[in-house]
This record gives sequence, C-alpha cells and structure tokens, in this order.
Amino acid sequence: MTVIVSLRPVRRWIHQRQVSHRERGATLGNLYFAALLIAVLGAVTHKQISKIFWPGTPDLGILPAVALGLLGAGFLLMAMRATGPVTLGRPAAYFLLTAPVSRRRLLLPSLRLAALVAACLAALIATALAGHAAPHAVAGPLIAAGALLGVGLLLVAVVAQRAHGWARVTDRLATALAAAGLALLIADNLAVRSRPATGGWLSRPLLVTLAGSLAVVVAAGSALIVRDLARTPDDRVLDAAKTTGTIFDTAFGMEPSFVTDLVARRYWSNRRLRSARPPARLPVLTGQDFLLVRRRLPRLLWLLAATPIPLLLTAAPPWVAAVAVLLGAMIAGGTTTATVNTDAGNPVLLRLLGLSSRAALLQRLRIPVALAFAWSLIALVLMQVAGDLPGGQWFLLSVPLGVTGGVAAVRRARAGFVRNDLLPLDTPMGTVSTGPLVHAFAGPDALILGVPTVVAVGQGGPLTYTLLLFQTALALIGARAYLAGTTDPARVELRA
Amino acid sequence: MADHPAVEVSDLCVSYGSAPVLAGVALTVPAGTGVCVTGENGVGKSTLLRCVSGLQRPDDGRIRVFGAAPGSSPEFWAAVVTTVEPPTWYPGLTTREHAELICRAHGQDPDDAGVDEALERFGLAGHGDAIPPSLSSGQKQRLTLAMALLRPSSLLILDEPEQRLDPEGRDTVARMLTDYLSTGGSLLMASHDDKFAVASGAAITTMESLAR
Repeated sequence: MTVIVSLRPVRRWIHQRQVSHRERGATLGNLYFAALLIAVLGAVTHKQISKIFWPGTPDLGILPAVALGLLGAGFLLMAMRATGPVTLGRPAAYFLLTAPVSRRRLLLPSLRLAALVAACLAALIATALAGHAAPHAVAGPLIAAGALLGVGLLLVAVVAQRAHGWARVTDRLATALAAAGLALLIADNLAVRSRPATGGWLSRPLLVTLAGSLAVVVAAGSALIVRDLARTPDDRVLDAAKTTGTIFDTAFGMEPSFVTDLVARRYWSNRRLRSARPPARLPVLTGQDFLLVRRRLPRLLWLLAATPIPLLLTAAPPWVAAVAVLLGAMIAGGTTTATVNTDAGNPVLLRLLGLSSRAALLQRLRIPVALAFAWSLIALVLMQVAGDLPGGQWFLLSVPLGVTGGVAAVRRARAGFVRNDLLPLDTPMGTVSTGPLVHAFAGPDALILGVPTVVAVGQGGPLTYTLLLFQTALALIGARAYLAGTTDPARVELRA
Repeated sequence: MADHPAVEVSDLCVSYGSAPVLAGVALTVPAGTGVCVTGENGVGKSTLLRCVSGLQRPDDGRIRVFGAAPGSSPEFWAAVVTTVEPPTWYPGLTTREHAELICRAHGQDPDDAGVDEALERFGLAGHGDAIPPSLSSGQKQRLTLAMALLRPSSLLILDEPEQRLDPEGRDTVARMLTDYLSTGGSLLMASHDDKFAVASGAAITTMESLAR
C-alpha cells in the first residue's frame, strides 16, 4: 500500500526556502511597481479603455456582436488548448509530478488559476459586447453569463486535454467558432449592415434567471472535472508545463523566438511528410521555400480567410485599412521565412552551398514576395468590390505592396534574438529596455515603403498612374537598397 | 508487485510524423534484474524509456510496469524513478535543497535519508550551497543521479546515465546500480557504453533484437 505524501507541506517548504534566499522586500517592491504601472497606465488610457468597453450608447448591431462573441470564444478556446489548460511549472513537473502525491491536489491550483483567467477574459469580452450592443440596464447578467461561458469553455478544454478523441473535436470546434464569427462579420459588412437593437432584448429578471441556470450547469461540470482531475495523463501535463514555461521565458526574457521555435517544432513534429524534389528550374533556396509553402496549407487557408479583415475596418479612418493590407502582406510573406531565420542564425547551409549573402537573400525573397503579392491582391480586390476604395485599379498596387511585404517579412526573420545590450531609456514611468522595442520594429519598419499607398487611401482620392508609378518605383528602389545595404557578394553571413 | 515483471512491453509502436521509430517492440525486465538497451542513435531507446515511464503516449502496444499501466498515479511514481526528462531547477533553491526536496516529496526525513552522504558520494559535497544552473554539465548529471538514488524506489529508468561523467564518476554510478539491484531493485536503462552496462549488473540487449 503506497503512502501518499501530503503535498501542502512540500509546497510550503519550497516557498519558504525560495523566500529565505530572496532579498528582503523584493516581493513588496515588485508588487509596488506592478500597482504603480497599472495606476499610471489606467490614468493615461482610461478614456480610450472606456470607449472600447463602455461607450455612452450602444453602437453595434446584434449580428456583429454575435460574430465578435463567436470570434472571442473561438480564440479563447484555442488559447486554452494551446496552453494546457491544466499545467504545472517546469520544476514542479520534474520534482512533484513524479512524486507519490495526490494528483488532484497537485493540479487543482492550476485549474483554479485557469478558471479565474478564463472567467476574467470572457467577462472582458462580454463587457465590451454588452457595452456596444445591449441596453446598459441588462449588461450585468450578460457579463456574468459571459464569464460563466468562459469557465464552460475551460471545462471543454480540460476534457480535450484528458481524452485524445475529444482533442481533435475541440480544436475543430474552436476553428469553426472563429471561422463562423469571421464569416458573420464579413456578411454583415458586405450585405446586412445591422444597426444597434434598442428593443427586443430579454428582460433583466429573465436574463438573471438564465445566468443563474448557466451557473448551476457550470458548477456541476466543474465538480465532475475536479473529481476526475487526477486522470489527466502525465504526458499532457508535461507538454503543457513545457509550453507555459516557454511562454514565461518569452515574457520575462522579452524574447519572442522561444515561443515561435516551440510552435514550429511542435507543428513539424506532428506532420507526416514525404520527401520531394523542388522544381528543377527554381534556384535551390527558392525551391526549398516552395516545398515549405506547399507543406503549410493550413496557414495558407488561415491567410486566405484573413484577406477580408481590411474590409472590417471601415468604421476606422481609411488609412487603417491600408495599414492592415500592408501588415497582412508582411504576415503572408512570413509563411516561409523560418528558413531565413535559420540561415541568419547559422549560415552553415549557405557555406555548404557556397552562396553569398546577396545571392541567398535574392533567392529567399521570391516566395515571400509572391505570397505578399497574392495576399494584397485578394485584399485589394475585395475592398474594391465592397466599394471601400475610391475609383481606379487599386489592385495594381498589389505588385509594389507584395515587394514591400516580402522585404518586411525577410527583414523580420533576419532580426535574430532581442539585443539586451542596447542602452535603456529613462522615462517618467521607469526605465524602458530598448532591445525589445528595436526588435519589435525590425520588419514592420520596412513597411514605410508602402506609405504612398496609405496616404492615398487616407485622402480618399482616386488612384492615379503617377501614384502607381511612384509606389512601384519606391518599393523596387527600397528593396534594391535593402539588398545592397545589408548583404555583400563577398560575405556569407546573412544576419542583418 | 513481486508477482509481476518490473516491465512488460509488447507490440509497441511509436512514430514521429511519418517516421516510425518503434515498430512491434517487445521487452520484459523481470523484477529484481537489470536490462540495458543499446543501439545506434535514433533507434528509439529514449522513446522506449519515455513510453515505459508514461511520459509519452505510444501509437499502439501494451506496457505494464509491475502489472499496471504506467504513469499518472502516486502508486506508480512511488515505485518508479526516471531520468528520461532533464530536470528543471527551482529558482532560488540550492543543490542541497533540491536533494532535500526529493526526500520531502517522497515522505522521507532528509536527515535520515542521507542527503549529505549522497552529495559526498557523488562529489558534490562542496557544491551544496551552489545553485544547480551554476554547476558543470557533468556535476548536474551527478546531481540528477544522486537524487534518483536518494529516494526509495523499485524500478530505475535511466537514459544514458553515464553521459558527461568522468571515468571515476562512471565507476561510482555503476557500483551504486549494482548495489541497487542487489537489494531487490529493478533497472531499465539505455546506454552506449557496454562496459558501464556490464559493471552495473545489467543484461545487455539491442534495440534490433526487441523489434518483431
């Protein structure tokens, strides 16, 4: 008969030992800094926050509100599936998951925290939706129902983590929710254009009753989940611990490449690949990128589904939609740039091939430019069909925007790790590390080549051939300058 | 527990993407004995050990550890120690405190369990107050093995325990594994060092011989 070791004293002992080595007052200092940061940010942005979450009068139709709710639910479920949701710290996964302690007690704090986060995020989404779409008198029960639905989604994610068969169904459900939300938004934008519904809402007592019933269902589900929490397989908890650990590394180290590396590793380890030869007429590195893009069909489908996003920004100033086209082109171009990132980090392949950095970059630019071109072409055609653009053949701009997006994607991939050796900036809110800021703008800064398009769309005038010519010349000259300035025919290293 | 073999594996299949790593693998480790699996890189030794530890889900096959499915229960982890996962250290805890934590998490009194003796035996006595990340890779490996042998168990699952150890360290570990087997423990390990495996008292078997 195995003696189960009580977990609480072990956890308390670990905490005590860690605290005893910590500088006196360090925790209080951290709390003070966090409270100060929240207070300063709140004071600076409270008007914008109130506009986002609680406008004076409802200004959103019921259809877009439902669509945004579906999108929020889909992404929340995806996020919970990606992080576990039942997880442990990496040290706890090594030392406590492999100890004879109660699994339920071990995993319960993580479930509790996940439920709190899910409820808060869902309540935030529900607050924004209720604030924009519902009479404010009935917002209370709607927000409560939203928080409860968030916990309900968490319970679904926990079952999916535990049971292999449910995992796939849940992932598809999350994708379907997000896709349905996007489709509804587009339908509303193109055809329905529903107005805010002031009447026709259920009465407050009825909504309270519904929220109460939902609370009973969620409470019963939570009890069942907690009862069977010990059945969560170790391999799933271990995977979740690695994921959340990497996310914390990224957050504390301000180094996004930790997460992108993890995501890429997991994506490729689950793919069934078959060796293939790239088309012989393509240069060797372009051929490699061509194979890669063929193997990233799900990403291409997501990118295709995202092409109407600029359409959805008609409520914002027109230049915002133009910036969205540029950003979308850069993201589309980034489909294959993991290879550039690898070459920039370690040019061993380029050395083996005997390629200079300039020749390598020229070859690596082709597929990103083609993808960025295709994305901006579809997005601009959709905007033109929807009547969101003034007169002219705006789709012709997809050529220079494709070049701009491709260059930006490649520049982003060459950025490498965050540089923490850069001088910090002293601001009234404290010291700001410049390395992560510089890293965040490496890539998007190249989108400056698309400024003429942004200005033209912002001004609302028709497309002129002068603008088309100027934009094309600027993109091509910019790309040429980027190549000439950051590569060398006599150098192999690709790092920017 | 003694009625069952320590490890029984049959028809085990695992693949990564389209690459099959284990196909129809069968293995039995009788209780109280040691088995060392050898084979070239990538042949699936670590994958086999991870599956037996319950830290990886196989595509197909049956695994029993002392007659029960592996993993996810306090009973399993009271009996089994594994080093197939590299440790992640608690920030702010010293080498000695990590060893002490292992004892506490397994219901032992750290003083009675002999933490100091274990650190001494593995040449870590002078590093008790250091934090593990500051140790060399060989010292970290010594600490991992010291922690594995410090707590009570019935089965050790070790993935290349000789890795990064100097010759003296290998001899020490081999002697301790022999002692472990002589007290009724069972051992399943993967190794590239046949001499070390023999010195540990484990019977050597190749991965090729385990596949159908």
